[in-house]
Amino acid sequence: MSDDPHNVAGFFSSRSGAQALPPQADPAHTAYLPPTSTQVVVQTENLIKRFGDKTVLNGINLTIRRGETVVIMGASGCGKSTLLRCLLGAHRPDEGNIRLFGQDIWALNQPEMDSVRKRFGTLFQSGALFSSMTVGENVALPLKEHTDLSQDMIDLMVKVKLELVGLREAEDLLPSQISGGMAKRAGLARAIALDPELLFYDEPTSGLDPIMTGIIDGLIMDLARTMNVTSIVVTHDLKSAFRVADRMVVLNEGRVVAEGMPHEIKGHPDPFVRRFIQGPIEAKTAIYPKSALDKGSGH
Amino acid sequence: MVFVSQLLGSLGRLALVLVEEVGEMGLLAKRTGGQVFRMRADSVAVQMIRFGIRAIPIVTLVNLFVGMIVAVSMSEMLRTLGVINWTSRVVAVSITRELAPLMTAIVMSGFAGAAIAAEIATMTVNEEILALQVGALSPVRLLVLPRMIGVCMMMMCLTLIAMVMGMFGGWIVGTLLLDIGSPTYIEGNNDAVKWADIPKGLIKAFAFGMIVTLVACRQGFRAEGGALGVGRATTAAVVISICLIIFANLCFAILFNWTLAGP
Repeated sequence: MSDDPHNVAGFFSSRSGAQALPPQADPAHTAYLPPTSTQVVVQTENLIKRFGDKTVLNGINLTIRRGETVVIMGASGCGKSTLLRCLLGAHRPDEGNIRLFGQDIWALNQPEMDSVRKRFGTLFQSGALFSSMTVGENVALPLKEHTDLSQDMIDLMVKVKLELVGLREAEDLLPSQISGGMAKRAGLARAIALDPELLFYDEPTSGLDPIMTGIIDGLIMDLARTMNVTSIVVTHDLKSAFRVADRMVVLNEGRVVAEGMPHEIKGHPDPFVRRFIQGPIEAKTAIYPKSALDKGSGH
Repeated sequence: MVFVSQLLGSLGRLALVLVEEVGEMGLLAKRTGGQVFRMRADSVAVQMIRFGIRAIPIVTLVNLFVGMIVAVSMSEMLRTLGVINWTSRVVAVSITRELAPLMTAIVMSGFAGAAIAAEIATMTVNEEILALQVGALSPVRLLVLPRMIGVCMMMMCLTLIAMVMGMFGGWIVGTLLLDIGSPTYIEGNNDAVKWADIPKGLIKAFAFGMIVTLVACRQGFRAEGGALGVGRATTAAVVISICLIIFANLCFAILFNWTLAGP
């Protein structure tokens, strides 16, 4: 158990996995060494997903080990959200397979799939809080449905999870009464309600101001360190990505074009990766044909 | 010729949509029925209040006017035939057998169906349904089942209220405008109403409640494309459920009047 009073996750975590933690004393993420676990939590093999004639994912091979924080990046429309939905079991791939915790999720029946789903949590881009329930009820729902805890214990767990994301005061508010950043944090509290082994984050910092982005990034890193959660973060926020990632995967046109440690991605030779990382200004050439620009410059 | 072929094409497409809808509704009904023993009474109670208790004023008003309209509409013909006192019988039979369940269902397709479709469609486009699914929580059990049970139960209660209010509307017109004595009107009314008509009306009400809920939930689940998708889902839910309710009413009319009526 952590001695750090700010380390609420470590203090309240009930999962045995939290005991085998990486060093927590140094708060700087740069000092944190990525986990060396060999246990594969997520694996995709030659994943192909098509929508009509368009191939959105074209042979994705991923292996993610326990305790890793893997960031999946790419330009808009590159297939990263589709990949996330395939991993969540929301989209059935046309070819290839997906293994979560060693189980091919499309070979499972509904109860078996539900058992797998109870082992992971998901933070959606919008938070996806249930609008008819208060923030507290949102967090309590998985506990009510999937555990035999008493109401008193559920109430306590809700308070703990909300405290963890700094939303203790928002327990009785409706999602419509809180800001976007608070909704994301509430969504995160719901995602970790069952102490998941694996967390999926869909654009966790999009639309947030730099301070809130820093808070969310801090939460992602804290959860990875203190609860030994395996994290898969889908984002195109580079600053945030480099801050939280142990390993990065860059997608372009449905393919993995680069994969490696953050410093490896920074120096990657692939032209698309370099453009993506450096983000040069090229709006005019993207919007207008070159011929039109040439004609315009003649006047 | 072109117009006729276009018309036939449109009718064909509508028929295909309705057939597809009935098939999908059947699947959703089967999945919902499979969860019925895991129903939470408090969730059902919430839906009964939301879609039942709050619908009482509108159902009362609509059916009061429908009873009055039937009485006024039939009075001229009955007066010509010299049987103006039969107004009560005509009103009672038409209200209890057909109009009360039908009008209540149409009101509920707008009152409950539109609300359910909009609510679930909004949840779908906001990824709330996906959040339930990936959280191993069944949207059918948590959303469809309580709404279906709540609406079906309340549809039966509302239909009973509609029957009473429709006959009361006829009584108002009969006694105040057609100069039929109140005892005469009530006697004719009671003679015309068969006790067997009440359960038939309630069976219809239950079935219509299922149609309203299942169509609304299905349209909500298939919504996509933000606010526009929510609007489309809501409109489709009301239009499809009204079409299916009227078709189902025809089936019930054939079943109750010809098949089960006996010689």
